[in-house]
Amino acid sequence: MLQEESDLSLIIAQIVQKLKGSNLYSQLERQAWASLQRPEIKLESLKEDIKEFFKISGWEKKLQNAVYSELSVFPLPSHPAAPPEHLKEPLVYMRKAQGSWEKRILKSLNSMCTELSIPLARKRPVGEQKELLNKWNEMGTDEPDLSLFRPVYAPKDFLEVLINLRNPNYENGDSLSFRTHLGLIQVPLKVKDIPELKECFVELGLNIGQLGIDDSTQVPPELFENEHVRIGQKVLAEQDSAAAQQYIRQGSPTALRAELWALILNISSQPEDVLYYEQLKTNVIQHDLLVDSLIYKDVKLTASNDDYYFVFEDYLYQVLLCFSRDTSVLSHFAYNSASPPKSYIRGKLGLEEYAVFYPPNGVIPFHGFSMYVAPLCFLYHEPSKLYQIFREMYVRFFFRLHSISSHPSGIVSLCLLFETLLQTYLPQLFYHLREIGAQPLRISFKWMVRAFSGYLATDQLLLLWDRILGYNSLEILAVLAAAVFAFRAVNLMEVTSLAAAEAVLADLSTLKKT
Amino acid sequence: MSRILVPCHVKGTVALQVGDVRTSQGRPGVLVIDVTFPSVAPFELQEITFKNYYTAFLSIRVRQHTSAHTPAKWVTCLRDYCLMPDPHSEEGAQEYVSLFKHQSPSMTFPKWLSHPVPCEQPALLCEGLPDPSRVSSEVQQMWALTEMIRASHTSTRIGRFDVDGCYDLNLLSYT
Repeated sequence: MLQEESDLSLIIAQIVQKLKGSNLYSQLERQAWASLQRPEIKLESLKEDIKEFFKISGWEKKLQNAVYSELSVFPLPSHPAAPPEHLKEPLVYMRKAQGSWEKRILKSLNSMCTELSIPLARKRPVGEQKELLNKWNEMGTDEPDLSLFRPVYAPKDFLEVLINLRNPNYENGDSLSFRTHLGLIQVPLKVKDIPELKECFVELGLNIGQLGIDDSTQVPPELFENEHVRIGQKVLAEQDSAAAQQYIRQGSPTALRAELWALILNISSQPEDVLYYEQLKTNVIQHDLLVDSLIYKDVKLTASNDDYYFVFEDYLYQVLLCFSRDTSVLSHFAYNSASPPKSYIRGKLGLEEYAVFYPPNGVIPFHGFSMYVAPLCFLYHEPSKLYQIFREMYVRFFFRLHSISSHPSGIVSLCLLFETLLQTYLPQLFYHLREIGAQPLRISFKWMVRAFSGYLATDQLLLLWDRILGYNSLEILAVLAAAVFAFRAVNLMEVTSLAAAEAVLADLSTLKKT
Repeated sequence: MSRILVPCHVKGTVALQVGDVRTSQGRPGVLVIDVTFPSVAPFELQEITFKNYYTAFLSIRVRQHTSAHTPAKWVTCLRDYCLMPDPHSEEGAQEYVSLFKHQSPSMTFPKWLSHPVPCEQPALLCEGLPDPSRVSSEVQQMWALTEMIRASHTSTRIGRFDVDGCYDLNLLSYT
């Protein structure tokens, strides 16, 4: 009892401290002061009256949404003796592996820097600044020479690192034994099995209506769709984040999706947010970063070549270039096993007052990174709102797909979950693919790292991302990957090479994910 | 609430196994760690804190002296306390753990008295359920702690990534 109460006190104190610095806090303060004018607020019962006022005017709901948001994003406070790195990642060997991987990335970036004789960052001359400002809305028309740039890493490089992860306390033996895992991932993380998944994802059961299946043309809308849309409109009217998150587990109607996602992510476009975005834009105009070229290259290689997303090319630059300058993203490193790269102002190496993070947001984009933003362009057209939504999606979910951690939604766990599901429920297929040298994870890894963006048709992808938001977990990506294999199992049993297996699974765009 | 760390000496682990340690193969699943408290005045033990490293279950036994004339006896305070819900996976494997007085089923950790000393009594925690005012004072303490931590951070909230307008960088640093 003592432990639970002190845990609760700690959580409350932590949330209050976080919210104290937010816009919401100052707004609530202003509202409380303003409410003193109101006739129903009496001095004798000041506290109760103000609380009642907040309830009626909807401010209490806003506060609830903010608290709910904090609970969803930040991990619970850990043991008082635990150092900060324990919160980032509790397992020492995983921390070390992430550190080594980061070092490799830094070396790669540094060598690109020296080889091409391009600085990591430079201030743009005034003329160049003006030019960029003029073509801010059509940066896609630019055709800079990016041939010398190469992506810092691709998903398959990352996969090799994950395959080599070992727990020093776990004796596997190098030779094949009953203790070695049959898949590529060799670390003994805890993953859910089907009964546990069924319990967790209960709203995806066959007897519960889903958008994506039960709203197809053959099904009369009175059976499910109409009622579901009606409930969605009610949830939006109530402006309740927790209710929205629960609702969206059965999928979101297209017309309501943008607002629902904003509600769940607790994003409301205030004037301060628009101003903040404009400030980031100014930062882009003033300083040119090497990562900008990496972003350009990535967009040109991936999104621009995609039938669904090439129209959004300009938006992607406007979001990603600003994202790189956003220092507020640094706060997510408290619970991310990764750490932001560090650098020093020229000539001040080793002097802590001149230490900075590079890029300012600490995130180095890899090949395919822009695909995290692309699907969102279908939902949001106002750049600052699009930006906020992407940033929130990144610090809640996407960062876990490219950092090494033991978190249940981290990419390592997702890989292990995928392999375990496949081995358990399709053992013949798994064995066959292994025998022909086509380990299933080698094919499905790229799907999961990109959260299926660019692999599924957009409407299906958005239905998938509905569930990621609804369950606040990325495990569904592994389940879907296993399901895809199950779906194409018959064809896969006939292939005799990795290349042929890849071909069978190359085009997922016809799959109806639900 | 005055709590202090009690200096203790933690001995190395000893494997519990049948047979000759040198000749038998395989690794036993049970290890014993001895903890002694050399030259310490009598104290009331409130909390044991440690970092786990792949131990699944923990039992704690203490040897207590009740009086100067009866021999000391071993008492089990905690038996098979689960640290890792699934010993074959990583859950709980490297977690920080605290064990409190009230978790011991025999109500209290026995008082560590080598012989009764009536005059020296350290401040005792009140037993039973804590009262609300105490909880709120704990919240205030946590508040003070978090405020301290917050104050000591160089704030990244300001939004500036440069140093006095300069963001001219060399190379990325590896440390």
